[in-house]
Amino acid sequence: MMQNKLSFHQSSVSLEIIGLPDFSNNENNDQISIISQWKLTIIDKPLIEGKIEHLLPIMDAFYIYSNLLIKNEIPSYESKLIDIKAENLHIHTIVLKSSKPNIKPLILKIGNSLLSDTINCFDQLNESSKVKIKKTSAYNEAPKKSKLGINNKVKLFDFIMPPFIAICSLILLSSTFIYFYNPVEVKEKNELLNPN
Amino acid sequence: MPNKVTIWKLRNSNPLRKSYVNNNIKLNEFNALIQITVEFSRYLYPFIREILQSKEDLEKNSVIWNDFNKRFVELIKERFNIDSMKVKKLLNQSENDEIIVRLLLTLSFCISNQGYQKLKNFLLDI
Repeated sequence: MMQNKLSFHQSSVSLEIIGLPDFSNNENNDQISIISQWKLTIIDKPLIEGKIEHLLPIMDAFYIYSNLLIKNEIPSYESKLIDIKAENLHIHTIVLKSSKPNIKPLILKIGNSLLSDTINCFDQLNESSKVKIKKTSAYNEAPKKSKLGINNKVKLFDFIMPPFIAICSLILLSSTFIYFYNPVEVKEKNELLNPN
Repeated sequence: MPNKVTIWKLRNSNPLRKSYVNNNIKLNEFNALIQITVEFSRYLYPFIREILQSKEDLEKNSVIWNDFNKRFVELIKERFNIDSMKVKKLLNQSENDEIIVRLLLTLSFCISNQGYQKLKNFLLDI
C-alpha cells in the first residue's frame, strides 16, 4: 500500500511525515493517522529521522527549551532521547541519543534562526488537519500564573477554614454550658451555705 | 480596532512612553494588540530571522544586527521616557542585546495560526 507523505517547510528547515490513514475511522486517503516515519531536515546539518515514539519527545524537548529560553530561565533540557543546552544566547547544542546500543549520540549546533524555524515546523504539524498527532504537553502551555491563581484559591480556603471551624466549635461548645450553669441557682446555694 | 487612531491612542498606555496616558486597557483591546503583533511578526518573519542570524555570527555578517540595534536605540530615545530605569536598561549597549534577542525570539515563535494564543500565554507568564 502506498504511504502518504506530508511536508512542512519553514525557511531552512523541513519536516516530512510519512504514514497511513486510519481506514477503520473512515478517514480520507490523504490523511495520516498512523505515522510510520518522520524526517527533520535542517540545511547544512545531518538528517534527523525516527519513528513516532521519538517524534513526540523531541517536539516536547524543543517546546520546553524554547519556553525556558524566552522566560529568562536557564535554558537546559535533558531526557533519555534528547538533550538541549545553550552554549550562549545565540547557539544551542542538541544531543540526540540513539535507542540502539553502540551508536554514538548525534551532536548538532544550531542558532536562534534555525531553532525558530524548527519550532515553526512543529507548529505547522500540530495545526495540520491532515495529520492526526497527539498534542505535546508543552505546546500552547497555559501560563503558570493562571495555575497559581487556582492554587491561591485553594491556599486561601485552607487558610480560612481551620480558624472558622475552631470558632464555630467554640460557640457550639460554650452554648451547651448555658444548660449546666444557672447563675440564680448558684447564688441561692451560696446564700444557704453562708447565711451571714 | 475601529481605526488606526485607536491603535495610536492605545500605544500611549505603555508606561515607558513619553506620551504615557494612564488608561486601563480593556481585555478586547489587549487581545486585539496581541493579534496585530502576531500578524506583523508573521509578515516580518524573514527579517526577524535575518536579524537573529546576523547576531549568531557577528564576524561574518554584523551589518544587519548593527543597523537594527542602532534603529532600535534611536526609536527608544525618540519615543520613550529616558529617565525611567527600564528604558535606561534598553539603551544600555551591554545589556540590551539580550533583551532584543529575547524579544525577537518571542515574536519568531508566535507566527503560526495558534501564535495568538502562544504570545498571550508568554505575556501572561512573564
